[in-house]
Formats: sequence, structure tokens, C-alpha cells
Amino acid sequence: MTSYLVLLGILVCFSAILALALNFQWGLGGMVNFGLTGFYALGAYASALFMLKGGANSFFAVVGAMAVVAAVCGLVAFITLRVTEEDYFAIVTLGVGEMLRLVALNEDWLTKGALGLTGVPRPFGDRIAPEYYQYFLLALAVVLLLATLWFLNAVARSPFGRLMRAVREDDVVAATLGKNVLWVRVRIFAIGGGIIGLAGSMHGFYYQYIDPTQFSNIVLAYGFMAVIAGGRGAHGGAIFGAAAVMALLEGSRFLKDLVPALDSDQLAAIRIIIIGVGLIALLIYRPQGFLREYRLKVSP
Amino acid sequence: MDKNRRRIIKSIGAATASSLAAPYLNLAHAQGSPIPLGVALPLTGNAGAYGPDMAEAAKRTAAKINAGGGVLGRKLELFIEDSESSAAVAANLSHKFINVHKAQALVGYWGTPEGMSSRPIAIQNKVVLMVSSAANAITEGDTQGYVWRFQLKATDWGTVISRATLNKLGFKSVGVMGLQNAFVLPIMKVFEEQMKANGRQVVDSLIYNPEQPSYRAEVERIFGKNPEAVYCFGLLPDFVSIMKEVYRGGFESKVVALSIMADAEGKFVQAVGPKVAEGIRHFQPMPDVAAPGYKKFLQLMDAPADRVLLFPPNTHDQIAITALAMEKAKSPMAVDWSKQIIPVGNGPGQEVDDVVEALKLVRAGTAINFQGAGSTCDFTPNGDQLGRGMGQWIIRNGKSVFVEYAKP
Repeated sequence: MTSYLVLLGILVCFSAILALALNFQWGLGGMVNFGLTGFYALGAYASALFMLKGGANSFFAVVGAMAVVAAVCGLVAFITLRVTEEDYFAIVTLGVGEMLRLVALNEDWLTKGALGLTGVPRPFGDRIAPEYYQYFLLALAVVLLLATLWFLNAVARSPFGRLMRAVREDDVVAATLGKNVLWVRVRIFAIGGGIIGLAGSMHGFYYQYIDPTQFSNIVLAYGFMAVIAGGRGAHGGAIFGAAAVMALLEGSRFLKDLVPALDSDQLAAIRIIIIGVGLIALLIYRPQGFLREYRLKVSP
Repeated sequence: MDKNRRRIIKSIGAATASSLAAPYLNLAHAQGSPIPLGVALPLTGNAGAYGPDMAEAAKRTAAKINAGGGVLGRKLELFIEDSESSAAVAANLSHKFINVHKAQALVGYWGTPEGMSSRPIAIQNKVVLMVSSAANAITEGDTQGYVWRFQLKATDWGTVISRATLNKLGFKSVGVMGLQNAFVLPIMKVFEEQMKANGRQVVDSLIYNPEQPSYRAEVERIFGKNPEAVYCFGLLPDFVSIMKEVYRGGFESKVVALSIMADAEGKFVQAVGPKVAEGIRHFQPMPDVAAPGYKKFLQLMDAPADRVLLFPPNTHDQIAITALAMEKAKSPMAVDWSKQIIPVGNGPGQEVDDVVEALKLVRAGTAINFQGAGSTCDFTPNGDQLGRGMGQWIIRNGKSVFVEYAKP
């Protein structure tokens, strides 16, 4: 059981990193990213391909994947926001996300198409004994999660963080004050993209096999669930949100052990109902999420 | 506000901890006496139509073995879970089966993505993975004897379908449409090669993406060239869309498909109606319905004698072979019994088609050659199944009429 909890812990960590990225882009920056799944897939594939085809070690593969996703996100934001408004940006991200998924599915020469990439290497996979590897991966995932949290908190509390919130609340006011709104938004989306690339790389390390079916739109739904549940704009909340979503998804599998009368196919349906009811209850009783966004306090 | 926040954090922490600690609350199977088997089946998702019957087959097979004395004097305990037809969920389930339930056999695994994502987990943990999926890649490479396919591999599907086309159906020109999917592409490749090698014309061939809102462009491209027949390889949801477009377009080419598309436990005809479905031929790996092992399986399932169950017999065979190999190895550990899969499945030994009888013979030290419900349960050393064939049907008045059974 300990091993399973360790594996769940890894799952929670990289889901939380993904939720943090979305929270940064949407919660703090006000930029809706409906292409989250596609960018996540890009991160996973880029990292795996840097290792499998480029011969890079896992550190450079992760850095490379973060750079690729950040560049693509920045480019999408730059091209789109130059000519359109925010609402259209959300639609463009949806299209780009789907496009990335279709590239992964169809470009066999690069991604092996529907068959997927097998044998994704792991950091220090050849030096650490398999029975201890999961503990190492959990430690790595926790360190990366804490580092991401620290970084995003530092950004949120910096002058750039205040600028982000200003642009989110009213971009016209920010522009009137002489701020370059387009450039701010490109940076927000690119930074978030880099973190999505990190989460995607962790996904590849965890599963060691990636294929396009793993990047269905349910990932997007879980990402938004985590951010909404955690409290939009609150980084700590996004981590709680991701943990709660994973606990609900995986923990509900144990219902059958608690209620043996429950049939497997009944449980399959009931799980989905429980997850839905849980979300509705949360939105009714705690619409602002678990935690609230960091605000600068002024002493009385 | 801070106190309120702390209270909320505490309550979330408590909820998460209690949810994750739930398995500790039930100590019944922590004592270790029954032998646990992990069963991952598609109870929901795009293959959700197939899981429930496979789950029933698993339960009845385990109950039969348990009633007949169990394995190594212990009962089999099944942990049946929903793979949601998803690679990531299947991988998480495999971790749960191995780490929480201490299962040494992972059975079910209907789709190729589920099998592919669980393959490295099974090999690393030295646990046997038994799949019902077809993509060749699942058993390719070094599986260390831990991955076993209870299905005809995809290239063999292509062989049987092309042979039937060349010898019996006689189409001179064909068009091919295939879903972008790991098990479809090898079928398409073999089929097209065989057609061309035998002087038949492949007028056009395309691969389409899943979950498109419409397949009008693809249908017009292939059917518009007016081949004698169009071969579609994919899954039920895309085929329903394709056939609606074919009917709307008034195309006259004959249609050949797989049974998981054109039958799917009757769901295809329900979706499009008998008029659209009329005349569609479909192929699918199936058990030899004349085999005594299959007839006994139908009795076990309380199913009518003329019922053709495609996947549940595989689940039966997976559990039966697991039980027999464990009994022969005198060990519930996969590292021991994985080596006994070929001796009990291929023989040489006394042919036996009832798992309880087979277990008695193994206990008595008699060499056996188990004949399963879904196939003769013969395997190649790398885990591919031999001895399973394919059925061919044609839809007449909304019903699938059986045409013939053939082996690759």
C-alpha cells in the first residue's frame, strides 16, 4: 500500500504543477487556456523526444521541453493578442491545443502516432534500483512542486505580479498607465507554458509510455476543477485542488472495498456521479474555492 | 479569516487522508489467504460496451475454480476495476493491483493503449499481464515472459480478411478507410499489400482521426471513386458517423468492416437502423463455436447455445491459464508460474477443456494441453496467441448472419 500511496503522491505532484501553471495563466493573468491538454502533450512529447531521438539527458530534456512549450505559448499569445481580444484568445488556444494533439496522433515519423512512445527514460533510471525508484521520483516531484510554488509566489508578489493583476482586472487602465499589455500577456502565457512543459515531462517520467489517448480533454476538465476548487489566483489552493481532485478520482476506487455489495460496473457509474456531486457541492458551499488569492496587506 | 482558512485546510486534509486510507479500513483481504487477481476492463468509455460481459465471465470463471477447490488450496479473489478505455487509467490501476492488492496477474486490458501503458509496469514488477488487445507492438521486444496476448494479433486479422476477399468475395477494386489507431494500421498494411500482390486495385486509402464531428470529406473521397467495396477499419462511434454519410450520399459500394464497429453487441444497428446497415459484411476474431470448451463456457454464462461471445471467452481463458500455471508451478508468484504458461497451454499432454478438470490433472502430476473457450490457448514464446480464428458475418434485416470461420 505504501508504494501505491507513493505513486499517488507523484501523480498529485505533477497534477499540482499543471494546476499551478493554469492558475498562473488564468487565475492570476486572466488568460483562459483551453489548449492546456495540447500544451501538456507537447511538453511530454518534447521531453521524451529530446531523450529518445536527441540523446539528451533527462535534465536537458526537461529544460528543452519547458523552453519549447514556453516558446509555443508565447508565440500563440503574441500572434493572437496582437489582433484579437481576450475572448477570441480562448478559442484560439482551444484550436492550437487540438492541433498539437492531432500532430502527436498523425506524425508517425516523429511521435510514432497512435502507437505512442515507449521506454521513455527517467532521470537516474539506470543508477537507482527499480524498487527504490518510486521514492526518488516522489522526492524529485515534491522538490519540483515546491520550487514551482516558490517561483510563482515570488513572481506573484513582485512588481510584475501586480502588473499581471492590473492587466487581468482592467487592461485599458493598465495601458492608459503606459504599460505594454501585449508584452505582459505574452510573458504570462510563456511562463505558464514553461511550467506546463515541466508537468508534461513529469508525466512522461511517471508513465514511461506516452500516447495521444492520454491527452484527452478530460485533462483540461481536471485542470480547471483543481484551480476552481483551490481558489482562482491562489497558488497554494491549486495544489490543494489538484490533491483533492486526485483523491476523489483515485480514492473513490476504494469504495468497493468498503461496500462489497457494490458491483464493478455500478461503481464505475457511481464514481463519476460522486465526482460530479462533489464539484457541485463545492461550488454551492465554497464558490470562491479552498483558499483565496494573495493580497498585499496594509497595516492599520 | 485566518482561523477559517486553517479550519478549511484541516478539513480538506482530513478528507484526503481518510479517502486514501480507506483500503486500510477493510482488513478482510489483508490476511493474504485468497490469491488476488487484478482485472482491468472497459466498463465506461468508447469500449464500454464490452466490459460488463467480460466482468461477468471473470466472476463466473473464478467462482467455478473456487467451487472446484481453488488454486494451491486457496481461493481466487478478483479485483475488477474500470479502465475507462484509457491508457493512463489502466496504468494507475495496474499500480493499484500490484501495490495494494498484491496481485501477481493483471488480466482484461481490452484496448491497445491500456495494454501498452501497463506493459512496462508489469515487466518492472515481474507480474504477468494478459491482454485482449491486438496491436503487434504489445508483445514485441523483450517482455521477459510477462506479457501474454489472448487475441489474434493485428497482422493476422489483415491476413484472414484479405484471404476471404481474394478467394470468396472477389472484389476487383477496393477503397480503404482506417482509424488512426495502433491496432488498425497493421491490419490496413497487410490488407493493402495482399490486394496489390494479387492484382486487385486499391483505388484509394486514407487514415482518419477519431472523434471528428463529421466524416463527410473522407467518405466522399473514398466512396466517390466508386470502388466495388470499401473496407473500414476502426471503432463503433466513427463507423456510425461514416455510414450515416454513406447513406446520405447515396453511394453504392459494398461495405466491409470489423464486428466491433458493425455489430458491437447490436449497438450499431440500434444507432443507424436496419436500412443503413443492410448488406454490411463484418469480420472479428472469435472463438471456435464448435469447440467443446466454448460450449461449456456458454453453459457457464447461462447463454443461449447460438450466442457468439467475442471477448468474454478470452477473460475466461486468462483466468484459467493463470490458475493452471500457478498450480503447475506450485507457486502464486508470477516469476515462477509465468514459465508454466506454455507447458499448460501448448502441452504436450492430455487435452482438457474444463478448467476444474484440468486443475485436478495438474494436481495429480499429469501433463495437460488446455483447450480454452476463446482459443486452443497455444502461444508463441514471445506471448502471441495461436489457434484463434476470425468469423465473418453479413447484416440482413438488422441481424448479423454468420457466414464462415477461418484461421490465419
